Amino acid sequence: MATPALRFKRRGLSPQQRRDLRSGLLFAAPAILGLLIFVAYPVLASIYFSFTSYSILQPPFWTGWENYQTLLFDDPLFYTTLYNTFYIAIFTIPLSVIVAMGLAMLLNVKVRGQSIYRTIFYLPTIVPFVASSVLWLWIFNPQYGILNTLLWYIGIQGPGWISDPSWAKPSLIIMNLWGVGSWMVIYLAGLQDTPQELYEAAELDGATAWQKTIYLTLPFMSPYILFSVILMLIGIFQYFTQVFVMTNGGPADATRVYAMYLYQNAFTYFKMGYASAMAWLMFVMVVLLTFVIFRTSARRVYYGGQ
Amino acid sequence: MQEQSRKPLSRRTFLKTLSTAIGGTAFLPLLAACQGTPPPGGGAQAPSGGPTATVLRAEAGAVEPTPAPRQAAAGRSTVIEVWYPYGGADAPLYEEYWKAFEDENPDIGVNAVYAANDLSTNAKLFTAIAGGKPPDVTWVDGPQVAEWAARGALEALDDRIAAAGIKPEDYWSPSWNQTVYEGKVWSLTYGSDPNFGFFWNKDVFVDAGLDPEKPPKTVEEMDEYDTIIAKVDGNRIERLGFIPWTVYGAANSLFTWGWCFGGEFYEPDSRKITANHPNVVKALEWMTAYAKKHDPTKISGFQAGFGSGTQHPFFQGKTAMAPFGPWELSALKRYAPNLQYGIDFLPTGPDGAPPKSSWVGGWTVGIPKGSRNLDAAFEFVRWISTSDTATMIAGKTFNQFPGYRNSPYYNEVQNNPQLKAFYDILVETKHQRPVMPAQAFYTGELARAVDAAIFGQKTPKEALDEATVNTQKELDRILREGIS
Repeated sequence: MATPALRFKRRGLSPQQRRDLRSGLLFAAPAILGLLIFVAYPVLASIYFSFTSYSILQPPFWTGWENYQTLLFDDPLFYTTLYNTFYIAIFTIPLSVIVAMGLAMLLNVKVRGQSIYRTIFYLPTIVPFVASSVLWLWIFNPQYGILNTLLWYIGIQGPGWISDPSWAKPSLIIMNLWGVGSWMVIYLAGLQDTPQELYEAAELDGATAWQKTIYLTLPFMSPYILFSVILMLIGIFQYFTQVFVMTNGGPADATRVYAMYLYQNAFTYFKMGYASAMAWLMFVMVVLLTFVIFRTSARRVYYGGQ
Repeated sequence: MQEQSRKPLSRRTFLKTLSTAIGGTAFLPLLAACQGTPPPGGGAQAPSGGPTATVLRAEAGAVEPTPAPRQAAAGRSTVIEVWYPYGGADAPLYEEYWKAFEDENPDIGVNAVYAANDLSTNAKLFTAIAGGKPPDVTWVDGPQVAEWAARGALEALDDRIAAAGIKPEDYWSPSWNQTVYEGKVWSLTYGSDPNFGFFWNKDVFVDAGLDPEKPPKTVEEMDEYDTIIAKVDGNRIERLGFIPWTVYGAANSLFTWGWCFGGEFYEPDSRKITANHPNVVKALEWMTAYAKKHDPTKISGFQAGFGSGTQHPFFQGKTAMAPFGPWELSALKRYAPNLQYGIDFLPTGPDGAPPKSSWVGGWTVGIPKGSRNLDAAFEFVRWISTSDTATMIAGKTFNQFPGYRNSPYYNEVQNNPQLKAFYDILVETKHQRPVMPAQAFYTGELARAVDAAIFGQKTPKEALDEATVNTQKELDRILREGIS
């Protein structure tokens, strides 16, 4: 005889519930232990190390706030790397959203071969970062690369791209735009979630495609855009592999991004404590920025799709 | 009705057993939860193996396949683990070493494992040492010895070296000097690279109207030759005489030309960094002048089409003059067999700089701290550095000049004109890179200074002043925090 609807107020858990709880915890134990050992412990350890000078080979040497003070007040390279990272973020994020949204809207149109096009535009995201970095090194080559050759055909003398300090960051941004496939897929899902009746109603009222986009598509897509912007922000702060493979921070510090400098301090210069401090500063910055983004967008994001 | 002896498995029993079993597997190594979907162009993934030293740009061919670990011969009473840094095409050649050592030492087996060392760091080794499971023998690049010794990564070898009867005079003096720090010896030099022999492409000289048998003897002559040889077609560089900052990376380039111009980089007695020594500044100004002559972005682009080593523009006939080490002789034979070239001393620097400038590079072999087979490990270190067999392999298979002066290889060298040219350079060598614990940092700062100067972002003096100040701060900090 089942009595699911009536819930008697009890103290604590019934033996049944206790047994279920124990089974559940045992099932979840591997994941919990993995999280504690491999994620929580290193994270907490790195907070500790950020207050020390630690070369890995010798025990940590307590230095208090010195790492943070040096970073904020005595290290010009810190601000250079922050500038580089922010520069890449400021351009990559809006451009990625626009390009991904545009692609998603195009791929939402019912044409023949729609699924083939969708696959093709998604393919760049499954190319491993190292392979695509090497590939783009050649595309960007000023003398023999495809990019400058194509420009030459239409009469433009291409710049040095990744070898030129003023073009290195824009080159990276272009390379990032090539990989918007995963956001495009998410936006596509979102587009298909928007109620079609509203579009039809808008057409009856004589709305142009542009008006439909601004007043219908974007509001419905706003939660997806918010989600992708925040994730992109977190990701760009950790931007590392492409720089490591392609430029190692050069030319002339143009692509020395935050994570690159962190890696150098940690593994090349034996300054693990300093690098840990950098990591925590980055965490604080990302949290602040995320908070700001949430606050400023609260009124603009419309969660009506559900 | 008889009771069934076995009840059917109830759901509760099944769940209990399964959860206990899975809970028990919690102690198996698990991979950490993934970091979420990496967004395009932003995910932080671990870098693959084979990073390069700090150069202006990564080379397309730099990521080499990782060689598989090599197992010791069976039935040896002691097995040592040796970590070596050569991947790619060279790795299988090392089998000659392991086999020769095992033949001469029937009770010791060698497990050889590849561990990348990009001349700045060897993360795999340090993790192993910190984790208490280091290999028994490791390769250590010359300038890294002081840094690793200061950090407690190496075992001091003085007693064993004395017991083996090895004396400092047995080695080329800069090669010996780089293994001594704070009065103790931390490794034995395996290779002494005379850096550099000045190579010039005789065919290009002829094509440009220069006498192929007369290389430039001074830096001023080299500048003239470069102007004559350079061929720039509108915005595309076809050929250059010479690119000063491509001598195995920006930092090594500055070392080479800094010493050539009579500069010094470090004062060991006062522990002062002297990157802004007036002659070093002059050298960087000279390098920058080349950049201004041909436009650094264009050169960077021109360079970016090639790699170093086998894809070096010199091999392709795109530059006519280049300083190279002796290991390039076999590379030239393999990849540019028809290239006619000559070898000479580096041109003399201006304003009375000492002629025949060169410095010694090369690897050393040491024992990481915590090794459990010290005797066998030292036997290997001694063997590879001083034995006739090993030094002959170094010379004949790898074109590597042994650090050990008494090697029979040096008799052979006299008969080969190209090797003899390098031998003469080695005999005259006086410099080695600074022996102090902030070496990796210093190299990074020098590379940044060269970059900044070449791209016109700072004047050479400003750039080198900054490098000096930063490195001095770092060195002082390390010394202040104490050395074990």
